[in-house]
Amino acid sequence: MPLQVAWRMLVDQKGRSALATGGIFIAILLVFIELGFFVAVPQGGMLIYDHMSFDLLVCSNRYLFQAQSGQFPRARLAAARTVAEVSAASPVYLGGAKWQDANGGLKVDISVIGIDPQAGIFAVPDIERQNAVLDRPDTVLVDGSSRSLFGPLQAERIVDIGGHRMTIGGVYELGTGFLGLGIALASEANFFRMFPERPPDTVNLGLVSLKPGADPARAADALRAILPADMQVFTRPELVAHEVAYWTTRTATGLIFGSGLVVSFVVGIMVLYQTLATQITRQLPQFATLKAIGHTNRYLDAIVLSESFLITAVAFVPALGAALAIYALIRSETLLPLTLSAAQLGAVLLITLVMAAASAFLSLGSLRRADPAEVF
Amino acid sequence: MPLALRNLLANKGRLVRSSAGIGFAVLLMLVQLGFERGFFDASLATVRQLDGDLVIISKSNYRFASADPFPRDYLRAAAKVAGVASVSPLYAAWQSFSWKDPAGDQSYLVQAFAFDPAHPAFLLPGVTADAARLKEEDSVIVDRRARRFLGMVSGTGETEINGRKVHIVGGFALGPDFMSDGTVMMSERSFAALLPGNRLSAADLPVEFGMVKIRPGEDLSSVQQAVGAALPHDVRVLTRPQLIAFERDFQADVSSAGPIFWMGTMVGFVVGMLISYQIIYTDLSDQLPQYATLKGMGYENSYLVRAVLAQAALSALAGYAPAWLACLVVYRVIGAVSLLPLHMTWELTLLSFGLTLGMCLLSAVLAVRRVIAADPAEIF
Repeated sequence: MPLQVAWRMLVDQKGRSALATGGIFIAILLVFIELGFFVAVPQGGMLIYDHMSFDLLVCSNRYLFQAQSGQFPRARLAAARTVAEVSAASPVYLGGAKWQDANGGLKVDISVIGIDPQAGIFAVPDIERQNAVLDRPDTVLVDGSSRSLFGPLQAERIVDIGGHRMTIGGVYELGTGFLGLGIALASEANFFRMFPERPPDTVNLGLVSLKPGADPARAADALRAILPADMQVFTRPELVAHEVAYWTTRTATGLIFGSGLVVSFVVGIMVLYQTLATQITRQLPQFATLKAIGHTNRYLDAIVLSESFLITAVAFVPALGAALAIYALIRSETLLPLTLSAAQLGAVLLITLVMAAASAFLSLGSLRRADPAEVF
Repeated sequence: MPLALRNLLANKGRLVRSSAGIGFAVLLMLVQLGFERGFFDASLATVRQLDGDLVIISKSNYRFASADPFPRDYLRAAAKVAGVASVSPLYAAWQSFSWKDPAGDQSYLVQAFAFDPAHPAFLLPGVTADAARLKEEDSVIVDRRARRFLGMVSGTGETEINGRKVHIVGGFALGPDFMSDGTVMMSERSFAALLPGNRLSAADLPVEFGMVKIRPGEDLSSVQQAVGAALPHDVRVLTRPQLIAFERDFQADVSSAGPIFWMGTMVGFVVGMLISYQIIYTDLSDQLPQYATLKGMGYENSYLVRAVLAQAALSALAGYAPAWLACLVVYRVIGAVSLLPLHMTWELTLLSFGLTLGMCLLSAVLAVRRVIAADPAEIF
């Protein structure tokens, strides 16, 4: 069995094999980190949607991405409710205002989200728990990860938002995504006190919930049929595709982290190849012996491939552990929502297998040099 | 020929392999370092192009790109200060100018600046050249390096801003940053007309920045103090370098780019160290008999260690040079596509070469123990 032979060869030289595993560990870790960054930006853009409960999103056809959402008349939501599959259609208001301490100081830009606290829009325990607080007049909840520029976010602090005195009713933990440096959450009535100039019938996002068993794609078509052409309707998968496409193609970040990913892939192959080629060079006498006792080239190739996959498999586990630790570190340092999904894990595993196979094939060249007559 | 160089050149195939291995690690570091610098430079590009010795700005403002205007009267008070040659207003908006792509229907928020066409507030060559044409009402000049989907590349034609028709009468090269995809500039009069919900004339509109030029031969910091003293306490007066530092501090505080790309650079360093350790270790193992022979002939350990370190430094150089050249191409291509200012500088070159040398020497020090342990008696 080539696999057994490969395992014995690796175990025979524990020190060298450990060194090789270390190299491949780093190569896999590099791919984990770069892939993490690549998906973290669109994930950041989706963070707030991911914590909202809805089946369909209706918005203006000027909608670009969450932070440039455009506005539409509230009457459109009433029209949406007439569709048979729709059980509820709730408005979400978004606005940017200046935040200043009641005693003066810096005027910092804050994003404000206005909702009906009773509509169950946010599936965030911190927010659900403080729904009653949102109903108090002139009160907001603030996101705990708002930047330090906003000062201490303790409850009962009085701040000026959009020229209106507001009380911080409490803090919730969700994350600001890419909506701004900080987020305040308010009831509809409080929202429009902070934006007195804004016509009260303008909505940014309409969150539509469907009756149990309704098909989202068909309900979306029904909505498109009754809403005017200045509106658009997204199912959740369509919204994800739209936001991810925005972040990866309309901003520089997709290209930057994409190229980082490509470089990490090439570097990974280089490291694996160096390691394997070194390994083979050192084991040339063993390979020559195997040849001399009658094993075919294919058999030797199978051993090299097995060695490559064995080392990679052994290196993968600690690389995964280290990647999780580094993700946690970056999450706390940068507020990027760096998490490891099953799809990402699968992608790294796949990339790693391709790297292992590519470098094994590259190093088969050194194997051909194994000449029994020369070794002895 | 010194021993180290001869060792390096002895096996051409191995030299290519090791240079490629080290080179890719170098490329990884250079690309990460370049991105870090590029992100930072992009966010400072607009501030660096401001034309003024001193800039008046609201005291409550926390960053350059944040609307926090002050009354225009302040500029009149500043103009009366001894030593001041001229004071001109710079209006700005980041969240209220919606630019329609001339070739399509979609509109996008853009960064907007407005000034007196006789006193363009920017040093950008395109702005100074085309400013006179902005006297025409509803004419704008645009950033030709803005993101492509805005359709600003040509610098001609007409489109709509906030639903009102405007003529594009020229362009400049600035580039997007992480807040705005593109920039338009216009006269104060056009700005007042285009600003949504505005009923004030340009003369009454609060200004974002006051651009102060001082008379030749005047002392900058004493004029700065005098202007500050002549103005109310809700504004402050910064020199240009102070304004750039103000913006840099803000970006460094909120941006995630620093930690991300430094981590990438460090990973490149560790990868490079591993690759060069592999290379040096294998090389030393192969040539152990030769080293033992040298020892047997009476050469000191220190001589052998020096030879190994010199060889490591040479392989660093052999990997670095092609990677540096490849990086120029990578910067150019990614810079053109991402519109990020990626430039090779002396600083980047020295920093990355220092890191490369460091990783090769460090791994040589780790690997050289093998040579020190080489026992002539054991080999033969």
